[in-house]
Amino acid sequence: MEVSRRTFIKTTLIGGAGVTVFGFSLAPVYAQTQGLKIARTTETRSTCPYCSVSCGVIIHTLGDKAKNAIPQVVHVEGDPDHPINRGTLCPKGASLQQDIVNERRLLKPQVRRPGATDWEDISWDACVDEIARWTKKTRDATFIDKDKNGYTVNRLETIGWIGGCTDTNELNFLAVKTMRSMGVCYFETQARV
Amino acid sequence: MSEWWDKQIQRADQLIPSANGSKDLLKFYAHLLRAQKDIYEFLRSRKDWLPSGDLESDLPVLLDALPGFLKVIQSYGPESLAAEAHDLLDADLQVITQKVMSYWLNPSDIQFFEKALIQPYLRWVAESGARPVRQEVSAGERYCPFCGGSPQVSFLQNKETTAESGNRDLICGTCLSSWEFRRVVCANCGEERPAKLGYFHSPEFDHVRIEACDTCKHYIKGVDLTRVGFAAPIVDEIDSAPLDLWAREHGYTKIELNLVGL
Repeated sequence: MEVSRRTFIKTTLIGGAGVTVFGFSLAPVYAQTQGLKIARTTETRSTCPYCSVSCGVIIHTLGDKAKNAIPQVVHVEGDPDHPINRGTLCPKGASLQQDIVNERRLLKPQVRRPGATDWEDISWDACVDEIARWTKKTRDATFIDKDKNGYTVNRLETIGWIGGCTDTNELNFLAVKTMRSMGVCYFETQARV
Repeated sequence: MSEWWDKQIQRADQLIPSANGSKDLLKFYAHLLRAQKDIYEFLRSRKDWLPSGDLESDLPVLLDALPGFLKVIQSYGPESLAAEAHDLLDADLQVITQKVMSYWLNPSDIQFFEKALIQPYLRWVAESGARPVRQEVSAGERYCPFCGGSPQVSFLQNKETTAESGNRDLICGTCLSSWEFRRVVCANCGEERPAKLGYFHSPEFDHVRIEACDTCKHYIKGVDLTRVGFAAPIVDEIDSAPLDLWAREHGYTKIELNLVGL
């Protein structure tokens, strides 16, 4: 009878003998296994969000994938396989874990009204509505359709756009389409990824 | 170089006193490493001879070193290996040749004697500048570029002087040479999705981890040399044998067994 490698290993390990395929007793090893505290982490490749160099990072997240467990970032390191930084990080990038897990990190949008001294929490829906309203108001008030010589320019010089280095090609494509259609001239995507 | 063997032996000797469940495995492995080093030294010191990489023609020389190796296994191995070593000492040369050539053409990690004998031979083949000559060699990123063997253990090591993170290399179970491999990728099936790749750690073995794949349900042990620089991956892997049992209990199969069968 042909016995596969997998079957052979299973038989010798789980069978009554409790030995490895080569006959070593596993009783003492098994005893130590019972006392092990095992934690599962995942490693996710990503991009450092700080500057336009766009260094590759690996984010270590602790969590056993149980539904009631909240994954927690426990370590961030440079990605040794990334062609830009090859595992190195600057001091800001090296401290990314403290940026992600930080009680002072903003988790929702805030606005400071004209004349106010404090920031006010608002919902994402209210935030998007407000940005749209202010964008339209500013554009309607300051849009330049012709320059002083009468040439058509369709420029909007009072709004600018600054992208982040983690923005993808797809996001930047949409940003360019949207901003150019509004006439925005001052535009930087940091498109590196 | 014999320094490589010395490093493995020293590491095994260093770990034995503090080892818990794996003490007997390490004691045997230390003897095995010494026996393998003897084979390597025997081949290296042979005058007017260099390996061709074609085992069929090199085997008569290699088999001259076999009796000493078998006696070590007979003395220190578990009952089943000792009995097999005893039988092989009395076996016909043709039978042994057939067994070794069968492994050479189709390597399997459950063939102890053949694998343990070929490892020092292939190390000397690599160091002398030859290449193994075989009919079929597995090709691809996950196979050893030198001999086509499967990876037995991975390790992380700094290669950029200013980097804190380690590049990942795999060590071949057949020839013990290493090659570069990407970090967040399954060494068995090439899975790259982070959610499918689990890294299991235990404080008892701080610098060793299980690198498991939920897609193919295989795993490999990883030794982090950025944490313990003097570790020897193939030895520390045996010291952390309890992690292997834990992985097996959770449904993972090792890509390539080591020489104690874990």
